[in-house]
Amino acid sequence: MNKKQKKKKKRKAIKYRDIELNIMPFIDVFSLLNTFLLMSAVFIAIGVLEVQIPFLSSAPPDTKDNERTLDISVDVEKEKIEVTTVWSRAPENEEKKDFPLTKAGSAELHKFLVNVRKTNPEYDKVSLFTADDVIWKDVAMVIDAIKTRLPGDPLIVPKNGTDAEKAMATDFIYPKVVMSSVML
Amino acid sequence: MASVQNDEGVSLNLMPMLDIFSILITFLLMSYSTDPVSYDISAGLELPDSVTITALDELPSIIVTKNEIMVNDKKVATILGGDVPERDRSQGAVYPVFVELEKLAEANKRVFRGKEDKTKTSVLTMEMDQSHQFKLMKRIMLAAQQAEFVTFKLMVAREAE
Repeated sequence: MNKKQKKKKKRKAIKYRDIELNIMPFIDVFSLLNTFLLMSAVFIAIGVLEVQIPFLSSAPPDTKDNERTLDISVDVEKEKIEVTTVWSRAPENEEKKDFPLTKAGSAELHKFLVNVRKTNPEYDKVSLFTADDVIWKDVAMVIDAIKTRLPGDPLIVPKNGTDAEKAMATDFIYPKVVMSSVML
Repeated sequence: MASVQNDEGVSLNLMPMLDIFSILITFLLMSYSTDPVSYDISAGLELPDSVTITALDELPSIIVTKNEIMVNDKKVATILGGDVPERDRSQGAVYPVFVELEKLAEANKRVFRGKEDKTKTSVLTMEMDQSHQFKLMKRIMLAAQQAEFVTFKLMVAREAE
């Protein structure tokens, strides 16, 4: 190999070493995508808690007069939550349980209500009574504990339930929460 | 000559920046909201946290900030000391809210006249600051009850799963 050929080979090698991927367009696309996503991102996901309020109606009641039904009521006070379960006809088997109005207390309340629903899957309504001085943040926490089915909770499907009720069972423990203290 | 060679060798290493961008994009795409309704919470208002999985599906009709009550973006009452003034109350309800909701109920009835699904006519979405007492919520609900709204969708901030 003469001197000229050696020089040519060296130049060629240098040329290959200089080749590199131009990543600037890639960065441009990423920057634009980032800007767009950051501008349109919703950082706080908003949800809803659906509740009913009592309404006086002239329509006949759903239940028959002699039917024995379970009434579940939750009373929220400034510092405690009281749950009462009672049957409409004898034996009434009234049961009362208190929980502190805290995160831990609402978790205990949730466990208790899951058990009540598990033993009585046909009753999916809870009456919620709230004292005037309880703040909305705490009321929302209690509604959550009553209503929402958490990961690990059993799937409770009523035997003779409608398709809609069966569908709701995947998301809710007690789908019907009536704010019974909203009465004139 | 040596210094010239050194200058040629200097280059900005863009790979860490690319890494950051990639991670940021992955995170943003994963948390990108696919909720049916995108809504910015009203200024000066804080929603309570919730584990609900039910997403917001319509814009709120009633907004209760720290200082005022709005129905369909129209200010109807002022909140003083966490409650509405005496002059705005009637039978325990907030009277101006009732007046506005009655108009809304009438409009709903006209829209849904002849349609089978009338469940939407009695539903209200409400956005309320988490620090308000239930007393105020009850007054608003009583006003709604008198205007024949019986179902409430109460807006909450969904906790991250």
